[in-house]
Amino acid sequence: MDIEEVKQRAGPREFSPKDDMPEEYRKAATRMIQFHANSEIMGAYLEKPFIRQAPSLDRKLAFSAKVQDEIGHGQLLYRAAESLGIKTRDEMLDELAEGEGKFLNCFHYPMDSYVETPMIAFFVDGAAMRRQATLKSTSWEPYAHAMDKVCFEEGFHVKHGEAILYELMTGSKKEQEMTQEAFEEWWPRIIQFFGPTNDKSTHHGFASEVGLKQMGNDELRTAFLNAYIPKAEKYGLEIPDEPRISKNDDGTYEVVEEDLDWDEFFTIAKNDYEPGVGQIEGRKASQDAVEWVRESLDNHENRLYGSSQPQAAD
Amino acid sequence: MIWEVFRQEKSGDYHKHCGNVHAPDREMALLFAEIQHGRRKPTNSLWVTPQKEIGEVDTEDAAFGGTTDKSYRWAMTYNFEAAASEVEESESEQVTADRERKAQIEKAGGN
Repeated sequence: MDIEEVKQRAGPREFSPKDDMPEEYRKAATRMIQFHANSEIMGAYLEKPFIRQAPSLDRKLAFSAKVQDEIGHGQLLYRAAESLGIKTRDEMLDELAEGEGKFLNCFHYPMDSYVETPMIAFFVDGAAMRRQATLKSTSWEPYAHAMDKVCFEEGFHVKHGEAILYELMTGSKKEQEMTQEAFEEWWPRIIQFFGPTNDKSTHHGFASEVGLKQMGNDELRTAFLNAYIPKAEKYGLEIPDEPRISKNDDGTYEVVEEDLDWDEFFTIAKNDYEPGVGQIEGRKASQDAVEWVRESLDNHENRLYGSSQPQAAD
Repeated sequence: MIWEVFRQEKSGDYHKHCGNVHAPDREMALLFAEIQHGRRKPTNSLWVTPQKEIGEVDTEDAAFGGTTDKSYRWAMTYNFEAAASEVEESESEQVTADRERKAQIEKAGGN
């Protein structure tokens, strides 16, 4: 198939591993899915400490279930990316450990306190879900299938995060103040989640032409702001003065982009941001620590089948 | 030799198990599957695999969905109005799945 045919046929779940896709498509899809998979994994590591630090048994259980879900999503997505034939799952995991794998801006920042958890579990997951729901109709079928399961599970994450936010904002004065502080710190990062505007986004054009991406950064951000600003206000959070957000006549929101720190954003995107480097190294240390498990599994497989090549069925 | 057949109705759908065929080799199995399972029902693609290559875990071997109370990991536990349509959608999928799961447990002997 050539790229013109791909563009013509592009539609929801149109292409699958049996289609002969041009390299340009396979590379673009790999980059997109690998980024998504990496983000799931890094998000899980960010929240892992709160399995222990959460203040009640219920919250500990919910965080442990959530972390489990996110790691599962990562694995599902690596498989979907692998089906494009550009990189293997192991290669992608190694890239992440070596600091070459790119992932979401929000997961580069360390999270120190429990009051920060709803910033990820409610706002970031809410933003992520907005995007993921549109990806159920991406053109790469294995990616769309993965999104069916991811979206099924994600609703619990967002609502669990909302429950924490509610609890904190109806809690003591101190808790409310700390939550507001965390909100002010995280809010610009959360808005940057969707990346720069369409005209400045490097990959958007091609990805949407071949049906990989269903909605532009601007549309997604607007939809997110419309749903989550009223929620934040309802719980008593004050929207910071900066970045400036204006409300249009039709009730939609627009953010003044120049108020956001795009230098920091692009430093993060290159994995050069100092606290983020710590996140990557922490993950690498965890991966190294269980090297022996992978090794013994490989040995076991080799003993059974002679090699790790898939067996011929007949 | 028995081969299990999975049919995909439309491009982009999941392949769903639809039955099996007897055939001596893969080539014949594909042909028989096409005739038996892809002739009348709408079909976009078929997967055919030797039955003995399928691994199985059934209700006797595992407690699917766990035996302990895991209500904390369901969206409807958290009693808030969903912030956005996609969250609502996910929650309603979970409500349906939960209902089906409970019906299944009841059917299996109500434990």
